[in-house]
Amino acid sequence: MVYLLLLHVALAFGLVAARSRIGRWPFLVGAVGPLAVVVWALSRAAAVLDGAPHHETVEWVPSLDLVFEFRVDAYALLFLLVIGVAGTAIFLYSARYFESSPRAAAFAGTMTAFAGSMVGVVSTDHLLALFVFWELTTITSYLLIGYADHSAQARAAALHAALVTGGGGLAMLGGLVLLGNEAGSLSISQIVANPPAASGAVTLAWGLVLAGAVTKSAQFPFHGWLPGAMAAPTPASAFLHSATMVKAGIFLIGRLAPAAVASTGWWQGAVMSIGFATMVIGGWRALRQHDLKLLLAFGTVSQLGFLFLLVGAGTVELLFGGLALLAAHALFKAALFMVVGTVDHEAGTRDLRRLSGLRKSMPAVFWTGTAAAASMAAVPLTYGFVAKEAAFDGLASNGMFLIAAAAVASILTVAYTGRFLLGAFGPHWEGHDPAGENAQTPRNALLWAPLGLAGAGLVLGVAPGIIKPLVAGATAAVFPGEIPGKLVVWPGWVAALAWSLASLSVGALLVWRRALLERATDAVGRVAAHFPTADGSYRRAVAGLVRFADRSSSLIQNGSLPTYLAVITLVAVLLPSSALAGGLGGFELPRAGGLLEVIVGVVIAVSAVAIVFTKRRFAAVILLGGVGYGTAGMFAVLGAPDLSLTQLLVETLVIALFAFVLRHLPSTFTESSTPRTPRVVVAIAVAVFVFVGGILTGAARSGRPVSDQYLADSVPEAGGANVVNVILVDFRGFDTLGEITVLVAATLGAAGLVLPIVRRREMDKT
Amino acid sequence: MNRRPSPILEHGIVAAAGPLLVFSLYLLFAGHNQPGGGFAGGLVAGVVVVLGWSAGGPEAVSRIIAVRSSALLGAGLVVAALTGFASLLTGSGYLESTSWELAIPLIGKVKATSALAFDVGVYLVVVGMSLGLVQALGEETPADEEAT
Repeated sequence: MVYLLLLHVALAFGLVAARSRIGRWPFLVGAVGPLAVVVWALSRAAAVLDGAPHHETVEWVPSLDLVFEFRVDAYALLFLLVIGVAGTAIFLYSARYFESSPRAAAFAGTMTAFAGSMVGVVSTDHLLALFVFWELTTITSYLLIGYADHSAQARAAALHAALVTGGGGLAMLGGLVLLGNEAGSLSISQIVANPPAASGAVTLAWGLVLAGAVTKSAQFPFHGWLPGAMAAPTPASAFLHSATMVKAGIFLIGRLAPAAVASTGWWQGAVMSIGFATMVIGGWRALRQHDLKLLLAFGTVSQLGFLFLLVGAGTVELLFGGLALLAAHALFKAALFMVVGTVDHEAGTRDLRRLSGLRKSMPAVFWTGTAAAASMAAVPLTYGFVAKEAAFDGLASNGMFLIAAAAVASILTVAYTGRFLLGAFGPHWEGHDPAGENAQTPRNALLWAPLGLAGAGLVLGVAPGIIKPLVAGATAAVFPGEIPGKLVVWPGWVAALAWSLASLSVGALLVWRRALLERATDAVGRVAAHFPTADGSYRRAVAGLVRFADRSSSLIQNGSLPTYLAVITLVAVLLPSSALAGGLGGFELPRAGGLLEVIVGVVIAVSAVAIVFTKRRFAAVILLGGVGYGTAGMFAVLGAPDLSLTQLLVETLVIALFAFVLRHLPSTFTESSTPRTPRVVVAIAVAVFVFVGGILTGAARSGRPVSDQYLADSVPEAGGANVVNVILVDFRGFDTLGEITVLVAATLGAAGLVLPIVRRREMDKT
Repeated sequence: MNRRPSPILEHGIVAAAGPLLVFSLYLLFAGHNQPGGGFAGGLVAGVVVVLGWSAGGPEAVSRIIAVRSSALLGAGLVVAALTGFASLLTGSGYLESTSWELAIPLIGKVKATSALAFDVGVYLVVVGMSLGLVQALGEETPADEEAT
């Protein structure tokens, strides 16, 4: 497992670094990644399906309990196979789809990195590692969607996806940490085995985790990013929307649903309503698209809603149907996206109003598309039908409403499937230029890759026994025990079949009378236009955020130095004050000093008071120096020659630097525009705080001073008699290192602020 | 030129700069057992820089310390940070000092600690800071130019 991930990392970096040096091979090299996943998964399949999950633990920092834990059970195995099979086909397809260029190599590398992150998501057993892999998919998908970085639309779509899924990921992180806290373990398998008892924190945790899954799987109301992500090159869309990205959310809720149902009362209802809303909205929007890719994208939204509902509900029958359908969806959706890519590649457009005559010019592509589409519409003798029967069978045992809802979505699915096929391969619409009549059937991976996946859908349709052990095993990994579901070619005369056939025929009717349907959807669309869309809400949310940031920063960062100082000092005063107030009860004043201390103290006090009343800047600096030298004297009197020496030198240097700066300023203070009273109040508050705080903290000592230990250790441990220096360079050496780093940064900062002004002045002179 | 009020002062300060810098080095090396240390030593050198600048401007300073401030800052930080690793080699923790007794001919027994090297780094950073700030803030003002 670890080697598998390392292989992806190596491939990804290698491909990005190789750039154009490997010509048209980058995708074939990249295909090694998903192919290795398939080989690995198949080699472990026998043992894992027998109920012995594959464990792997790699210690990273054992002392901090940081380990990479991997646990591949049959549930993860199913996802690994889906990722691997779809990934291999798509990589092979990409090798023909892309012109060879340095950017293509980088794209192949990013796609490999993305595939590796997905493998990580499904195979880790650690909540935090899950989050890391999860966010890696967000980042890499951002790069994939924004591949066409010269197009503003692609960049905006990439940002949309990254913001929505990244934001959901952050919510999920909060949920996972809370969850781990409540369950007392960060191990996913342990949380599922012993779900935390219901409580406020647990409810919040599950809500946040659900938010993460909802955004990632493009569920209502966050589905807007998925159609936008169609700005990605078609192979990336195929990969993201069939087998990976969006399946991550499905994976997560499927894994956690039993635990969530056990510790909340609302999970099932929430998941089902979200899934239902998503599948109806997605199906409806698909009916109104003219771009074949967008049509498929909204179809994906709809299918994901169905999967979300099935897998997330947390019951064994629905999970079985959901997983069967998930595999079906990966097969037919990847194939369909690739078909669209091929059509686009050969005919130069994806507009279904313009495409014409492709059935004749590209018959092989037509039959591939038809086979995949039949699976999508769940026509009997396809794997889509087998899987949907299993799902309907599960729904039937959960009440009438659910199955009716699913049937509505199925009708929409059949309708948009018809729209897709007729649009891509039927005649062009009136009033639009026809395109694609002279397209050629490609005799390479552009045909073979989708054909392979679509063909697999047909084979599994008549021989579902091949995949049955995998789906049943995956279900059993989540719900140990007897699996009631069945995957059969013909279910016999049961209720599920009736629903299935009914939705198929109503859907077919809608396709037949599509002109009527078009008018009806137009009419409803005019009404629906008044409702907010997911895309519009996203735009408004982002615009609102920018406005908020604008206003809040112009409020906080108003450019007034007195305001900044007041805020900083008041925060510094008010926060510790509340803690200090507790000590006001009992403290003793420090003992009175000797005569020398009093004299030095008076010098300091008189200088300090005089600063306030002086009008001339230079006099103020000299008086400030008086305070500083007085303090140096006080250190000397109290027996701290080191401090005294350093203070003396610092003061000298500071006065000199002040003198340099003062040459640029008027010689007297100018009247400030801020009113006097608040400034006086802030100044007095700071003074009182420092004075009282000094006495209180001095009196609050309860333990033995650390200085005793330092004095005792200085010579034997560090070989120095000057304990102050030993503290600086040895005991607290790390602090000193930090301090001199600050010195360097401050010097560079000061020079960086001043030197441009000087240079500009010199430029003006010449 | 108005910038140089007195050649005597300028040359006097440049001449005194040598002994003063030696004194700053003394503070640096004595620091482990007596008052002083890299910080204090570096500040003395910084004061020398300020004196040189006020007496003779950039030319005088470059005659006292002919190294760029950024080089001093960088070298100091690198020396201080690397010293910490030196003590790792002897098996103690980062920045924990180790000491050796060395017998140098003619001088006699000398005790060297790795903390001294760290202090040298601090010294260099402080000198570099003084030099950098003086150079940045000590630039001529428009008023100075009118006076010339």
